[in-house]
Amino acid sequence: MKQRIETATAKKKNAVAFAVLIAALIALCVACLLVGSSNMRIADSFSALFGHGTAAQERIIRNIRIPRILAALIAGAGLSVSGLIMQTDLNNAMASPSTLGVSNAAVFGANASIIVGAGGFLETGNRLSSYTSGINLYATSLVAFLFAALSILLILGLCRMRAFTPGVVVLAGIAIGAVWTAATTVLQFYATDVGLSAAVIWTFGDLGRATYRSDLLMALITLPGIAFFSIVSWRLNALLSGDAAAGSMGVNVNVLRFSTMLVASLITAVCVSFLGVIGFVGIICPHIVKRILGHDHRVTVPASALCGSILLLIADTLSRSIGSGSALPVGAITSLFGAPFFLAIIFLRRGHADHA
Amino acid sequence: MLEVCDLSFRYQKRGPLVLDGVNLTLERGEIGLLLGRNGAGKTTLFQTILGMQKPERGSMRFDDTNLLTCSRRERAQRIAYVPQRIRFGALTVYDTVLSGRIAHFGFAPGSEDRAITERILEEMQLLALAERDVETLSGGERQKVAIARALAQQPQLLVFDEPTGNLDLYNEQLILSEARRAAKERGIAILMSVHDLDRALSLGDRFFLMKNGKIRYTGGPEIMTEPVIREIFDANVRIISIDGKNHIITEETL
Repeated sequence: MKQRIETATAKKKNAVAFAVLIAALIALCVACLLVGSSNMRIADSFSALFGHGTAAQERIIRNIRIPRILAALIAGAGLSVSGLIMQTDLNNAMASPSTLGVSNAAVFGANASIIVGAGGFLETGNRLSSYTSGINLYATSLVAFLFAALSILLILGLCRMRAFTPGVVVLAGIAIGAVWTAATTVLQFYATDVGLSAAVIWTFGDLGRATYRSDLLMALITLPGIAFFSIVSWRLNALLSGDAAAGSMGVNVNVLRFSTMLVASLITAVCVSFLGVIGFVGIICPHIVKRILGHDHRVTVPASALCGSILLLIADTLSRSIGSGSALPVGAITSLFGAPFFLAIIFLRRGHADHA
Repeated sequence: MLEVCDLSFRYQKRGPLVLDGVNLTLERGEIGLLLGRNGAGKTTLFQTILGMQKPERGSMRFDDTNLLTCSRRERAQRIAYVPQRIRFGALTVYDTVLSGRIAHFGFAPGSEDRAITERILEEMQLLALAERDVETLSGGERQKVAIARALAQQPQLLVFDEPTGNLDLYNEQLILSEARRAAKERGIAILMSVHDLDRALSLGDRFFLMKNGKIRYTGGPEIMTEPVIREIFDANVRIISIDGKNHIITEETL
């Protein structure tokens, strides 16, 4: 008998896909490092990178472009993988990183922090400086994260009380998300003009806010999270066969679903808290990956991570080139260009079974 | 040997008993057929045996293992399940069958798991399909893969919930002969429900006739008589003998 029948062609296909993804990622990183809205020449960017540029050029590279690229890499990977996990957990192709209402909760938290905390709430005094000072950015992110985490625990807690089935989780997520959105509307209604604009601008996903410290904090949750998903990838594969089959194969379905959704939501929470809402990465990337490489989580977890990083880097580069001088929010770009591209993928490729 | 004693279950407190004092024993190598109308409690009984539902009262053992207290993993190493509606992700046939080994390997398969997978693929003549995406297979092939995955668990008991529901005649025969082979060659106890009574009669060693959550009749093929079937299924059938073998046909057929 043949010793290793393994799946040779599938392996070859995966290897090619990963090589292409990694090459694209490296090329994009280099491109993003060299191109920006400051119109610095490529040669100058190079010399600044290695410490031979002017002080201003080095600052641009070190304090603006590198943290921004790192943010795109981490948040792109995190949001994309979170989306993949949500889709598997909920057996729902439309599930996204924010299905549990995480983003809505984070937006409410940030709004509360900005509007109430920084004095933009029912007050005429204009304390604009406090919206933009660095320390306040962390306070806003912290409050956003706390509300997102609260929302996650609330929903997962509620779902544990009843059957922990995908239908219940999705409905609970929609309901709780609606509450946060309504609460945000109330806050904004009573906000001053300045408070309101600061709060609204916060919700636009923007990689320009990234600092080394925020990148580190995002990485501390995102990278172990992705590692965790990789470790349980066989169990996630079993879950594709449905709860009953997975359970009969020895997988504790409730524990798996609870833990993976918790981690996926925490990743989303930390990314949204630092960067604002970045839509669609968590839907489009897992779908592209699953269409091309199948559903095996040993492959889709790392491939979705790479694909997410790539998409966010592309979107960020576009946002910086279109905005002529001031970068457009990357969240707008991901949805603006991502959605039509996504539709094209869905409608141009026929004859394939549609599966979460 | 599977021993189920006085098993009772209800979905809601004070709700009706869906399983009402069920007793059932099944030896290794035997095919037991659980028969009854829709809603008689067959699927609930399967789910309880598989640990998906907690019984209100009663006991369940398989050989020396108490099925009510053993871990999920211990149970999965003894009992495998082929569900009524089979669903896979877009995995290769090889990986799908290998995933049946999760209860044995935990997080990453070893060489023994791969060897067992390959042996089962070979025995079930699935080697040629090993690299195919399961989602692209026909209904019969998918059913076969589901059985192969269940066998990869190396179970002592295999639970089949209406395995032939959506299959054409050829695939139905194929699946049932695989089931028979698993029972006889591997000494696995098989507990199965099917709707086709004539098929059941030719396949089963023991019969458990269920109505309203109770097992009313237990025994060999001899218990399958016209009045008993009328009582259990509320339908009129005739039992006729062709070439010395009994067949069950509906009265309309005559």
